[in-house]
Amino acid sequence: MRTLRARRRRDAIIRILLLTAALVAFLLPLTWTVLASFGSLPDNSTRPPSWKGPITFDHFREVGIAEPSFWQELATSTAAAACAAALAVLCSFLAAFGLARSRFAGKSLLTEGFLVLASLPAMAYVIPLSDLMRRAHLADTFAGVVLTEAAVMTPLAVYVLHGALRQLSTEWEEAAVLDGAGLFRVLGEVVLPLTAPAVAATAIVLFVLAWNLLLVPLVLTSGEIKTVPVAMMDFFTFERELDWPTAAAALVISLVPVAILGGVFHRVLERFSLDARVGA
Amino acid sequence: MRLTHRDRFVLFAPLAVLLSGWLVLPALLGLFATFSTYSPFSTSIHFAGLSNYLAVIRDPQFGVAIRNIAVFVAFAVPLELVIGFGLAYLLRRPIRGRGLWRLLLLLPWLVSPIANGVMWHFLLVGANSILDFASGWLGQASVASPIGDARLALPTIVAIEVWREAPFVAFLLLPGLLSVPKELWEHATLDGASWIRQVYDVALPSLRPLLLAITMLLVGLSLGTLDVVLILTGGGPGSATVTPAFYSYDQAFGVNNWPAGAASAWLIAAAVFGVGVVYIRLVRRPASR
Repeated sequence: MRTLRARRRRDAIIRILLLTAALVAFLLPLTWTVLASFGSLPDNSTRPPSWKGPITFDHFREVGIAEPSFWQELATSTAAAACAAALAVLCSFLAAFGLARSRFAGKSLLTEGFLVLASLPAMAYVIPLSDLMRRAHLADTFAGVVLTEAAVMTPLAVYVLHGALRQLSTEWEEAAVLDGAGLFRVLGEVVLPLTAPAVAATAIVLFVLAWNLLLVPLVLTSGEIKTVPVAMMDFFTFERELDWPTAAAALVISLVPVAILGGVFHRVLERFSLDARVGA
Repeated sequence: MRLTHRDRFVLFAPLAVLLSGWLVLPALLGLFATFSTYSPFSTSIHFAGLSNYLAVIRDPQFGVAIRNIAVFVAFAVPLELVIGFGLAYLLRRPIRGRGLWRLLLLLPWLVSPIANGVMWHFLLVGANSILDFASGWLGQASVASPIGDARLALPTIVAIEVWREAPFVAFLLLPGLLSVPKELWEHATLDGASWIRQVYDVALPSLRPLLLAITMLLVGLSLGTLDVVLILTGGGPGSATVTPAFYSYDQAFGVNNWPAGAASAWLIAAAVFGVGVVYIRLVRRPASR
């Protein structure tokens, strides 16, 4: 037993060392960026390279000067991603419940089909979509962006939520039905409370995905509505001589909302499970 | 509960409207359009058969794009899976502050692809780059940016994508690893199985459906690689980093060759559906081991 414990101990130390190495490797680029946003830049001309620049918040202010509508775009991005995630989760939750409580031939094919659809890259459909949206007068409107972003994300949400709902025992539902509850009462008072962690985790992941979408808002808009990724794209392509600390500051700002969301809800995020056959 | 017809309608209608209106209908209209000379601003449309597709396939640029994306998928997806699995495996056992480790290791995925491109541009190019910093410490002269080198550009794009996606793979795999019954691990440990045996005999068989699903997502999304290329290299140098999605984007929105853009986009979709058929076959067949 002693050797086993010694081995466990050794394993634990190796694990911590490897994790620390991985953390350094994965976070080094981000740390570099955060330092740059505060004006702390390396001076590579000296040997060995040194660090220069006092710590300053000026670059965060410069973002607003270089791109006057940046704060507006930040608000648009947040609102669009939140609305799209909410709409996608709502539609997907209903459909996933319907799917989980139905039996028909080809059901598993349909479910897996949703995952295939979720894997479809945006480029595969945005060209006709941009054309159609212009004809429907939804191009360059907030509603158009939200509806499209929601539609793009529903396949993943249906797949994930179906996995969570399928595992749910039907006992409580049946009890509620015997009490005379209709569909909406069953959903609102029984099913949703029981699957709330999975639903919340899905909503957060969808928010991040929507927040980071580039191609969909890019081809659907032409200036009226602008999300942060689109603004960054414009800014970076038209003015390549962008000042690095300012770009870094914009980058840090764009990361803050999703990082806060992840930080506050990291316990909930642990309930995000892609596969129906795993997880509790 | 047993669903009535009305219940079914209420449950499925919202999704059906959203999906058909904003995904299926545009996609199908786009598909029909690729067999014609349609473009949004053209006045006359006539049937063109397969000529749009033939033009794309004959374009040497598209051939290069296919080669590039094949290399990209062949290297990026296995690396993302292996590194992601490694991270999840390290986080499998309870350690102090696992929640914080998980969150910190997920950060790269939270960076949007476009911000990612901007960030790596400055990390690799210019006076404040991380590369020059490292070579300075090693006493070397400054290094040329790998993005500007035709041989290094594609591997660099692969590395950047792996950096961003591997944490997401770990995030998706960890719940699966944690739900492997404890007895299985304990058996393996008591039998004195090495960690490699544990991975092969315990982890991989239990994770098979999840790994297949993640692979499907990764392959599909990799086949559409665009954002990083768009911002970091613009397909260059030369056409070293042109991907089919970049080709399609450039044709449709860059040089206004709408039919070629739409046709090449449908070739990407066809490739993803092809992978999807393989995926569904694999996932429905129980593990042979």
